Amino acid sequence: MRPHTLADAVELLSGGDPDVKILAGGQSLVPMLNLRLLRPAVLVDLNGVPGLDTIAPDAGGGLTIGALVRHADLTAAPLVIERAPLLAKAARHVGHAAIRHRGTLGGSLAHADPAAELPAALVALDARFVLEGGKGRRHVSAADFFQGLLTTALGPDEILVEAHVPPQGPGWGFAEIVRRSGDFAVAGVIAHVRRRPGSAVRCDVARLVGFGVGDRPVRFRAAEDLLLSDDDGLSIARVAGAVACDPPDDVHASADYRRHLARILTGDVLGHALERTEGARRS
Amino acid sequence: MSGPWVGAPLPVKEDVRLVAGRGRFIDDLGLPGMLHAAVLRSPHAHARIRSIDARPALAYPGVTAVITGADAARLSGPIRPLIPTTAAVPDYCLAVDVVRYVGEPVAAVAAMDRATAEDALELIRVEYEALPAVVDPYEAMRPGAPLLYPELGTNVVWHDTLSYGDVDAAMARADGVLRERFVIQRYASTPLETFGAMAAYDPGTDGFEFWTNDQRPGLTISILAASLGVPQSRLRLSCPDIGGAFGNKRRPAYLLICALLSRGAGRPVKWIEDRVENLTALMHACNGVMDVELAYRDDGTLLALGVRDVADEGKNLLTPTQHNLIKLGNIANGYRIPAIRYEAWSVLTNKCPSGANRGIGKPFMCFAVERSMAILARRLGLDPAELRLRNYVTAAEMPYTTPPGAQYDSGDYPATLHTALERFDYAGWRAEQSRARQEGRLLGIGIATSVEPAGTNLASYELVTGRRSVSGSAEAAMVRMEPDGNVRVAIGDPASGQGYETVIAQIVADELGLVPEAVSVARGFDSSVSPWLYLSGNYSNKFSVTDVGAIVGAARLVADKLRRLAGHRLEIAPADLDLRDGAVVVRGAPDRRVAFAELCRTAYADVLGLPPGEAPGLEAHHAYQNPLAAPVDADRRVRSQLVFSNAAHCCLVEVHPRTGVVTVLKYVVVHDCGRELNPLIVEGMVHGSTVHGIGAALLEEFRYDEQGQLLTATFLDYLKPTATDVPEIEVDRLEHPSPFTALGAKGVGEGGAIPGPAAVANAVEDALSAFGVTVRELPITPERVWRWIVRDQKS
Amino acid sequence: MIEPAERMAIRLTVNGREIAREVTARRSLADFLRDDLMLTGTHVGCEHGVCGACTVLVDGRSARSCLLFAVQLDGATVTTIEGLTPPTGLSPLQQAFCDRHAMQCGFCTPGMIVVSTELLEKNPAPTAGEIREALAGQFCMCTGYVNIVKAVEQAAATARGARGEAS
Repeated sequence: MRPHTLADAVELLSGGDPDVKILAGGQSLVPMLNLRLLRPAVLVDLNGVPGLDTIAPDAGGGLTIGALVRHADLTAAPLVIERAPLLAKAARHVGHAAIRHRGTLGGSLAHADPAAELPAALVALDARFVLEGGKGRRHVSAADFFQGLLTTALGPDEILVEAHVPPQGPGWGFAEIVRRSGDFAVAGVIAHVRRRPGSAVRCDVARLVGFGVGDRPVRFRAAEDLLLSDDDGLSIARVAGAVACDPPDDVHASADYRRHLARILTGDVLGHALERTEGARRS
Repeated sequence: MSGPWVGAPLPVKEDVRLVAGRGRFIDDLGLPGMLHAAVLRSPHAHARIRSIDARPALAYPGVTAVITGADAARLSGPIRPLIPTTAAVPDYCLAVDVVRYVGEPVAAVAAMDRATAEDALELIRVEYEALPAVVDPYEAMRPGAPLLYPELGTNVVWHDTLSYGDVDAAMARADGVLRERFVIQRYASTPLETFGAMAAYDPGTDGFEFWTNDQRPGLTISILAASLGVPQSRLRLSCPDIGGAFGNKRRPAYLLICALLSRGAGRPVKWIEDRVENLTALMHACNGVMDVELAYRDDGTLLALGVRDVADEGKNLLTPTQHNLIKLGNIANGYRIPAIRYEAWSVLTNKCPSGANRGIGKPFMCFAVERSMAILARRLGLDPAELRLRNYVTAAEMPYTTPPGAQYDSGDYPATLHTALERFDYAGWRAEQSRARQEGRLLGIGIATSVEPAGTNLASYELVTGRRSVSGSAEAAMVRMEPDGNVRVAIGDPASGQGYETVIAQIVADELGLVPEAVSVARGFDSSVSPWLYLSGNYSNKFSVTDVGAIVGAARLVADKLRRLAGHRLEIAPADLDLRDGAVVVRGAPDRRVAFAELCRTAYADVLGLPPGEAPGLEAHHAYQNPLAAPVDADRRVRSQLVFSNAAHCCLVEVHPRTGVVTVLKYVVVHDCGRELNPLIVEGMVHGSTVHGIGAALLEEFRYDEQGQLLTATFLDYLKPTATDVPEIEVDRLEHPSPFTALGAKGVGEGGAIPGPAAVANAVEDALSAFGVTVRELPITPERVWRWIVRDQKS
Repeated sequence: MIEPAERMAIRLTVNGREIAREVTARRSLADFLRDDLMLTGTHVGCEHGVCGACTVLVDGRSARSCLLFAVQLDGATVTTIEGLTPPTGLSPLQQAFCDRHAMQCGFCTPGMIVVSTELLEKNPAPTAGEIREALAGQFCMCTGYVNIVKAVEQAAATARGARGEAS
């Protein structure tokens, strides 16, 4: 089905039938169909619904990004590069160009692969998502949106419509370990911090988000708490050492190795984030 | 460009159609009324089929025919193995009563399209009784292990020791014996085009026509005829363009499935393997374990080599022991080792059948030997190049026969290594390595050298079966000068990317004094048109050794006839005539000539003008076997392959100690494949085969869980190397022609796949030298590297 | 609700030609191109979007035709390898691929040409590293990528030469 309005799309989902699936970019969904892992009776193609693919500036310095914005456009849009460079960077690491030309922000978020870059980026940016369903529109924070392995807050009749991304600070870092360029991450970490004036390491805003190290994007709370603490002997190494997570074991890597990567990548991205802050401060 | 054409880097004619998307691959073909097949596969690694009800599938709209294992057993005969290691254990195109690996075909449906056929598969009700599965070869060898074939009483289809020279005595008097165990993973060459077949039964003639990208048509036709109960003369099999093969494209079962469906449906049936089917069920190279004992003197001289080799064959009743035998043929790897012992087990397990891939076992054999050499060099405090140089068979000793009977025909192994080290700038990179270490960067340099055999001699199977049934290898060629003076050539070996249409035209052009544009080589294979033999096909690097012999032979027969016809016309002895520029020319008197067009007129049209006793036409068939192939001798020695190329690989890696990530920074190959028929094609083979080796070293692995479920069944999980995973492969060459092939050419198709894994492993170990790591297993994943480092730091 | 066998009308432009067809909802773009339009130059290697063999240009941007349904292409423009091949002869990029023997079996080649075309349009002077990065989503099992990179470099240099730019 190819609805022409959002209302029609929502209507098509209104039965709550699990055999009705949304088709956006198709880069995650269609492989599952081809492999017969999913057998939807109906695909609701959102690509015909206008107004879902825009990137607009918010009054507060942030962005509103439509769910159907393609990854390729996230990487290239001047507004994103300027206001949410972390997001542009994360999007660049999704697959290859052909995948990024079709894959959408909304699709990636709704699919919620725990090793995906964009869900973690939006958690790090403290984004809010707008969901539209039979009962109307509601907002869910990124933190609350990702609820488990491939599981989100989306109800069976809801569509993710857009993401509101607050203004991003200069203190950010992104790193991932992949087996090959463009693969899903074995593990990755995103830092989005605001360094406390007068401190080398301590911050007054701290988000350290791991991907590929849990069943959803993982905030490294203990490490963040250290950054937010008053401990003036703090070092990057100590923060990294406090990273705790419960990663999966699979064919690509063990939990132990992922945990190790989470720690060292946290050190790396925190270092980058603090350097960027320094650079921004000076410039 | 002008002749001679052999040796020229002529642009590859096939590229022109391929780059425009004008190749014709099996899935591009179709016939009116064609149905599409899908295959139902076992979800269990080992289970009894209690019952199977395919009627709901047959009743599904759009479905025309369905077959199950019971049908296969009723309507076809068992598939004849190439290497009959066991008393006949019937193996049909579909599982009958028992399934023995996840993905084993159980039933098949022919329907109006593939999606409908797959929908119908879901309606087939199969009741399985799960049986214990065995996935580890050592477990499979244990008494009381689940047996794939209880009637065999064992999963070990071969266990034997072949001994050449007194290994124990050599070990006793050695200064030392290196003992190591190496473990290699399951992987496969995975051509980008999957396997496929189309079958059309003709009720009018009770015959079948097949189209397929099967790379061994000679063998396959024979199997099909026997299984279908139809004489070969009522079968026709064609191969279109083949999108890569590397040994994997051979599974007669699928052609039988299409044939049976077609006969049942009365319509052509096409089946194209999808990628999951390909990775799960087509064929894997054997994984296994090798225990090496290398006896040496303190000056590095090798005295003896003992190898115990456990090869995990999966459910392979067609070609078990193939990997073992080929490893034995390559065991000396270019070194002078007076005493060699090889104890082998070929073990069945509940996994995908093993089969040929690029290298068939030689990558593992080379890994074991070259890793041992690297470890030994360290132990003796010798430079790894120096240790090798002390042990190479030298050019002066050739032809040199290794203890198991392999004959090194030509080559300068020391010069190859020296050239590689120079090209690589070995000294420069050693210095850079020290410098980088001070910055905390771990660079590693790895050397690996290998021999690469070409041609095959199936008589070696007698070592396993105890009797000679197949032997040698052979190919057939047809060369025909047409009435218009242009030439047509066909052989029994279907190309899969090797540029046969170009290189064969070069060969024949030289033989007949023509330009390659005047020689047209038939695309692919057609059993009604191509000359072919049971042993025809693409395997074991045989082109340069066997096919070329047939091509040259046929071309020379035509050349001889042209000379005879011209000699008759000019009243000159044929021995004084040359073929040049489309004419037969008197040597020393170039104005005395007869154009081919004239001779064709006589041969084809004005046949009364033929000399007495000469038949019309200018066409010759020649079937050829290389005389180096000989039976197994009384001491169990045999040339299992015939001539030997060699190569030296030198690679530079960086290991990132925090993450274990390995990056290949530089890779140099110096190789010698004898006379290079077309250097452009040859160099491409070296690039591609080397990347196969790097992929096996760092990325590729088929992993199973304990229940025999394949965990790496898509390209998301089975990792192939991409353009960012490998550097440019720099290639240089030596050329020591073989004295034993028609044009002096040797093999090059498997090339870098053989020493590649060892070169990369040696480099990684070198990078990690401060951590005391020994690399004994593949693939070298970042996590493995990290664990080696951590383990060292703990101890 | 559309029945699996129900056909839907689509109109799209393929290689510059207007095409009107009816397709079932589940028909992939790859199968539509290959089986309905007989454009068999686009190849299928995995059906899960990883190998890149099926890559075509959709509205000017590379996309995996195995991950698109034909019905989604209503109103779209698709370019396949056939559309990147001139009526006679070869394009300069294709010629460079031949000059450099940047293929062996040829199965990956159409996808390589599509992605290389897109790369050179965006980046007329790519480094070898940039070429490798752009091609990282396209598997080749035969060439080891060496000659493919060289071919793209050659095509880029030729194009710059034709424009009168320094190489």
